[in-house]
This record gives sequence, C-alpha cells and structure tokens, in this order.
Amino acid sequence: MAEPAIISVRKVNKVFNGGSDRAVTALEDIDLTIGRGEFISLLGPSGCGKSTLLRVMADLTAPTSGTLTVNGKAPGAARADRDYGMVFQQAGLFEWRSVLRNVELPLQVAGAKKEVYRAKAEEMLELVRLREFAGHYPWQLSGGMQQRVAIARALSADPEILFMDEPLGALDEMNRERLQGELLRIWGDVRTTVVFVTHSISEAVFLSSRVVVMSARPGRVAACIDVDLPYPRTAATRTTPEFFEKVKDVRRALHEAPSERAAA
Amino acid sequence: MTATNISASPRPPAARNGRTDPAPRAPGRGGSLLRRLTDPLGALLVMAALACLWEGYKALGRAVGDTVLGIGLPVATDDLSMPHLWTIAGSLAEPARAGDPTSLAVYLIGETTVTLREALYGLAAGSLLGLALAVLFLHVAPVSKGLMPWLVASQTVPLVAIAPMIVIWGGKAGLPPWAAVTGIAAYLAFFPVTINSLRGLKSPPKVQLDFMRSVGAGPARVLWSLRFPAALPYVFAGLRLAATASVVGAIVGELSAGTGRGIGRAILTSAYYYSNGPEKLYAAVLVAAIAGILLVQVLALLERLALRHRHAR
Repeated sequence: MAEPAIISVRKVNKVFNGGSDRAVTALEDIDLTIGRGEFISLLGPSGCGKSTLLRVMADLTAPTSGTLTVNGKAPGAARADRDYGMVFQQAGLFEWRSVLRNVELPLQVAGAKKEVYRAKAEEMLELVRLREFAGHYPWQLSGGMQQRVAIARALSADPEILFMDEPLGALDEMNRERLQGELLRIWGDVRTTVVFVTHSISEAVFLSSRVVVMSARPGRVAACIDVDLPYPRTAATRTTPEFFEKVKDVRRALHEAPSERAAA
Repeated sequence: MTATNISASPRPPAARNGRTDPAPRAPGRGGSLLRRLTDPLGALLVMAALACLWEGYKALGRAVGDTVLGIGLPVATDDLSMPHLWTIAGSLAEPARAGDPTSLAVYLIGETTVTLREALYGLAAGSLLGLALAVLFLHVAPVSKGLMPWLVASQTVPLVAIAPMIVIWGGKAGLPPWAAVTGIAAYLAFFPVTINSLRGLKSPPKVQLDFMRSVGAGPARVLWSLRFPAALPYVFAGLRLAATASVVGAIVGELSAGTGRGIGRAILTSAYYYSNGPEKLYAAVLVAAIAGILLVQVLALLERLALRHRHAR
C-alpha cells in the first residue's frame, strides 16, 4: 500500500445486545487500513460481520469500542460531508421518483442548485449507460438496471469512497458477471476507493486489488490477500491460470480461518 | 351510506426493488380503455339490480304481516313503508313546499351543497390535524403511547352525545352554527387519517432509510423526501374513510345545531312529515348518498392523479 490511508480501523469491536445473555460479538479487534484508490473486498461466510464492519465505517451503526477514521475524519463527519456513497443489496430506489430524480437526490440533500444536480445526474446516468432511461420509473427497470441506477446515485455527489454492501447479491449469475465488468469499467473512470462486501470468492478476486478474508463468530480479519492481476480485467481474466491460482489462495485462507471460537 | 371504494388498506406497495427481474417495460397501463368502458357499466348493472330487488320485494306483498312460503317479511311493503322508485323520482320534480315553485330536487341539491361545504372544511381541517398527529406520533413515541387510547376513546363516544356539546361550546364561544358543524365533521375525519398516515410514514423499508442517512439527510429531509411520499397511498386510503365520515359528521351536526340549513335538516324535516309524503325522505337520503359518493369519487380522482407514476395497479 504505497497510497496514503483513506480509511483506518483500530481495535474496533461491535457487540449486539451487549450486557444481556443474548450478547453477540459481531466484530472483535478489527484492525484494517485501506489505501486511497484501492478496491477492497470484505469476504467471509454469513455472520462474519463483514456487513457490520462496512456499516460501522459508514456510520450506519456505532462501534462498541475502538476508533476509526474515514477520509481523515470521524465516520459521522464523513457521512455528513458525503465523503462516501453507498450501494445496498437492494437498490432501494424511491418508486415515486423517475430514474433521473433518484440520481439527483444526494445533491439535492446537499443543497445544490437545480441546474447543478440535474447536469450531474445526467452525467452519472451517462456513466452507467442508462441515459435513455432517465424518465423511466424504477418498477419499469430490471434488477440489474436498478442496481446501476443505485451506483449512479451513490456516485453523484462525487464521493471519495464507494461502500457496496453485497450489491450484486440479488442478481442471477449472468447479470452478476456482466455488472462486475461494468463496475470495474466505472471504477476505472471515477477512481474512487471501493469497499465491497461479498460472500463470493470469484467475485472478490475478479474485482479487488486486495481481499480481506474474515472469519465468523466472532468476526475477525483472518487474512489479507493482494490480488496482483493487472487492470483492466475482462471476461478473459476469469479464465487465466493466475485468476484460478488467486481463487485457490483465497479459498484456502477462508477454510483455514477459525470458524468458531470453541474450536480455537 | 357510501359503499364505494372505501377499503381501508392501500394497494400493496410495488415489488421491492431489485428482487424481481422483469424485462424493461414501456410506460403506460394496458387494459385501461377496457376498464374505462366496463366500470360505469358495472355501476349501472349494480343500480339496476338494486332497483329490481326493491321493486321485486315490494311486488311480493301488499301489506303488513305478509308471508311468502311461510316466512314473514321483515319490512312491510305498503307504499307508506316502501314507496315505489318512480314515486321517489317523481317527488324530486314536484315543488318542495306548498306555495313555492322550487322543485324538491333543486331544494335538496341546494341544501346538500351547504352540507358538502361544511363536510369539506371539516375534512380539510381534520386531515391536517390527522397528518400533524401522525408526524407527532412518529417522532415522539411516548406521546403516541399516552395519547392513542384517548383518540380511540374519542371515536367510540357516541356522536349524538358529542355533537350537542360541540354545538354548545361553539355557541358559547360566539362561533356561527356552521363552524360547530364543521368541527364535528373534522372530529370524525381526523382519526382514519392519523391511523393510516402513521402507518404510511412508517412504511419505508430499512434500505431507503439507511440510504437517506448515508447521504447525510436530517430528520426534516427524511420526512419530506422519503416518509411523506411513501405514505401518500396510505394517506389517501385514510382520506377516503375520512371523507365519508366527514359527511356523516356534518349531517349529524346539522341535526344538533340550529343552522336551519343543510341536507341533515332536510332529512329531519322530511322524517317529521313522513306520513304526508314518505317519498320525500327517501329522495333526501338518496341525494345525500349521491353527494357522499361524488365526494369519494373526487378523492379517488385526486389519488389517481397523485399516484399516477407508481407501480401498475
């Protein structure tokens, strides 16, 4: 990581239902530094806290203890300054707003002038290649197209960071692979830092410059694996021996990770 | 009185984003032309069926205590109890009062507009109050817990007991009688709006609330850009209930208030002189019912306009 850190996580713990007998440790002693411009995947089995970690970074959930900085600020300040954009598993578009007006929303909230947010939203739709669907309503779009609108919306306020919480999880395999390629193309254009949560090994390897492997109960960072496959990556990348090698490395790291505390 | 389109729950929200993967569809709603043709036809058929029932029932007997196949008829079928439909319709064309050339129809419609105005003011005031209460309940949970039982109680107290009190209070405060009638209409209208709006304000899924938080939106912005638009279908469901309730409130209010005007007064007068012309009471009730239907239909039209871009119904 030659680049300076844009996100740093130090000794972060998250306990749900703390103090009660149903307390669950979702994150334990997480230390993680993410460099500017990286494409990081948080990978792990369900229940390993990868989504929780992302939500803590995004200030959607407060950590129980520990410190973190996002773009050099406390997460709350970074959120208020719209330093990051976020894409969720469900597109979550507002069904009463047209595609264009959905993409305008972040800059509207920021108090931008109409001509500014209108122009920016059109530019973003151009970026995700949905310009001609600007006047459509979300229910008229397929799931994959809705997710592309959500990406345009997340990027419309020019954030430094893009948080993505299993954004392709609800799509079928074909759409999924197509959107992975699309996402890399967009990332090549905008060059934000991406933190991407997934439970798919091949998705993590194909997209990321670095894969953070997490283990479950309690959620911990088990391994960090650099993926030095050159960008731009294409469909052909998926069939190279180097790709398979990386997939194997990551899979091994996942399986070597302690799965339950009782076993450790 | 009005039985059309007052189902309490709004249409289910559109399939949540991203779950399904339909092919992109062009805007426009298929089959709307067919529906536009069949809807009034259905309404006419229902009216014809009701008319046949009325006249058919009447044709079965001529007097009190008739039995058909050994079953006693619940309502006497003589002309005093059940005037012929054509008698009712005919009475609309006759003069409302002796020595006054105004026809009953014109008189009833005139009185109905008075009532509708009171009901509309009441509906507007009640809806605003209902919406404000819903927003209050959403943001201040303890108030919701403390106040809700009282709101429920307010709606279970018989209107005939409450209405004279409101009229008396209004009179003591120096308000004109119509203001009290409007107050009673509002009193009935706010409750369904509160209940439905609160439900609607709470309807946005977590992902939309998370998204608003992620872009740094404050509570006011979340309310305005997310919760209000999401609540709109629910608010309209409440408004339909409130519309009928406000008409009932206005009519009952007129009975208690000494306004001397309104369809409620007209119904009371016709009931008083029932034996002189039973068809006049039926005509008055008919006109009141039509007014209620019209009001609900206007609301339905507004709703269609406001929600025209939502998912196909």
